[in-house]
Amino acid sequence: MSSNSALERMIGKVLDQKEAELISQIDSAYQESLDNLESSRGKLEAERTRIVEAARKQAENLKRQIIGSARLAARNQELLTIENAVNKAFEEAKKKLQASNSQDSYKELLKHMIEESISAVGGSNAVIIECNKNDAELVRKVVSELQNSGKVQQARVSDQYIDVLGGIRIKSADGTMTYDNTLDSRIERLKPLIRKNIAQMLRGVE
Amino acid sequence: MTTTSYGIEYTKVAELKGPLMIIDGVTKVSFDELVEIETVDGEHRLGRVLEVGFGKAIVQVFEGTTGLTITGTKAKFTGKTMEMPVSQELLGRVFDGLGKPNDGLPDPIADRFVDVNGEPMNPERREYPTSFIQTGVSVIDGMLTLVRGQKLPIFSGSGMAHNILAAQIARQASVVGTKEDFAVVFAAIGVQYSEAQYFKRSLEESGALRRSVLFLNLADDPAIERIITPRVALTVAEYLAFDLGMHVLAILTDMTNYAEALREISAAREEVPGRKGYPGYLYTDLANNYERAGRIKGKNGSVTQVPILSMPADDITHPIPDLTGYITEGQIVLGRDLFRKGIYPPVNVLMSLSRLMKDGVGEGKTRSDHMEVGNQLYDAYSRAQEVRALSEIVGRAGLTGIDLKYLDVGDKFEQHFLKQAPDENRTLEETLTRAWDVLSGLPEGELTKIKEKHVRQYYKG
Repeated sequence: MSSNSALERMIGKVLDQKEAELISQIDSAYQESLDNLESSRGKLEAERTRIVEAARKQAENLKRQIIGSARLAARNQELLTIENAVNKAFEEAKKKLQASNSQDSYKELLKHMIEESISAVGGSNAVIIECNKNDAELVRKVVSELQNSGKVQQARVSDQYIDVLGGIRIKSADGTMTYDNTLDSRIERLKPLIRKNIAQMLRGVE
Repeated sequence: MTTTSYGIEYTKVAELKGPLMIIDGVTKVSFDELVEIETVDGEHRLGRVLEVGFGKAIVQVFEGTTGLTITGTKAKFTGKTMEMPVSQELLGRVFDGLGKPNDGLPDPIADRFVDVNGEPMNPERREYPTSFIQTGVSVIDGMLTLVRGQKLPIFSGSGMAHNILAAQIARQASVVGTKEDFAVVFAAIGVQYSEAQYFKRSLEESGALRRSVLFLNLADDPAIERIITPRVALTVAEYLAFDLGMHVLAILTDMTNYAEALREISAAREEVPGRKGYPGYLYTDLANNYERAGRIKGKNGSVTQVPILSMPADDITHPIPDLTGYITEGQIVLGRDLFRKGIYPPVNVLMSLSRLMKDGVGEGKTRSDHMEVGNQLYDAYSRAQEVRALSEIVGRAGLTGIDLKYLDVGDKFEQHFLKQAPDENRTLEETLTRAWDVLSGLPEGELTKIKEKHVRQYYKG
């Protein structure tokens, strides 16, 4: 009887000890879990901040990129529109120029062009003058007047006509030097400056 | 009446020799005058007068003389030097090596036309560069700081990542803490088509094209065109900087191709060759380009130059890097060993130097510890390299404790500070934090180049 109760006491004691041990283990495991959770929360928070920050940066870059590209595309479209308008303006101007070939001022211009061209090719009077078919008669008249006044001597108007708006092209007698003083070449020379003026007008800049 | 005098067209071509065309019977022609050439087929090319005398003119044809004939070729002397139309509209545009549009858009509407040869900067009016440009590349910002108005070349080797680095700098470069405008002028000289596309795409996709002007001279374009590419690029850079008040970073890659073109012309002119066949005036010619960087007193803008050159056979004593080094204010050298180790950007910091860094960093400009941290990193990495060499002989077991620490610092420097993704844009703060991460691997007592207060503030040991 007494040995049984001693055994029971011992069993009870072992059970108590085990229980206490298990409770302590559970407590420490619980505590450890809480600690882990806490530190994970910190890490998670840091990771979340990192991801959000990276995404924010990426979004900012993307935004900048999209806005930048859109602005550039709009600017390029504006450039093309202006260029079309500038080209139209030039076409109109060329038509007007072609129509003004009969005016007196054009004769004066031709005279100036011939003198300027002869001077450009070194003042040599032995030159061949080329022009378009419509101007041929007027050019011959101007050359004849210049010859009469002694300003030009051995100039000859070519029978080979050139396809230009107006003006003249002068060649040295041996054909090695050419001075292009046609209206077309003058327009080409001044085009960059005129383009700027037209573009400013289109943009409303004074 | 406004004079429209525009030069005479000559047909008497006496000789075609390499990239040169000799024209006979010319009068009233000037040195450097622009020449418009028309081939028998009606194709137009450009050239410039190199020499005049005895009724002859030697013309350098930019697009080369292939296809030109003695008879039937016309050369019109325009009476002016080569000019580049400039305006703010150039930003966001792509041009070829001669400054002609390459993006399907019309010619820019010019504010004015500027001689591409530029005007020499009056030395008395030069202002000493002292303001920082952030590239977003740690090794440059932290240790080889670029300063507005500086000329800092990158010396690279064949096949190395200089073009990736160039594009990264072009995308990321900015002036921090100021609302002043910033622009990038990028001149690709003799690059492959794929590289040119990479530069263009890279700027487009990052949205940086809007503030950039690109000049693309391809490897299959005539070599002679390369003579003009840096000149047109720098002309635009000067206009943006000194007329519009912008801070401009001009990146010129690859200047070796430029020097090769110069050698080709020199050989065709039968000039007495200098070192490795380059003309004797290579130094002067390079200086003419490099010295177009700087700041001018009383003007807001600046031109900062980063010329990139690939050293033939990685030889830093080759005439091109050698002469460049005399003119520029430091150099960034890319190392083959680092490149082979897969480290990008493979900057060999021990051979690199930014001479103006000391004036562009520190309190009020970047951060008070910046210069000291840069110096300490140099010192630590240099020591790490020595220890690496020693460990090759005696093995790690033979090293002392402090040696082992330096060895680790060397590795961390390469992996944590130097190594960077090509699309990673680091702020200066981030760069310096990484620098302190590396330096904190050493005992405090080893940080002899840094003031105690900074060690107390930033050391993480």
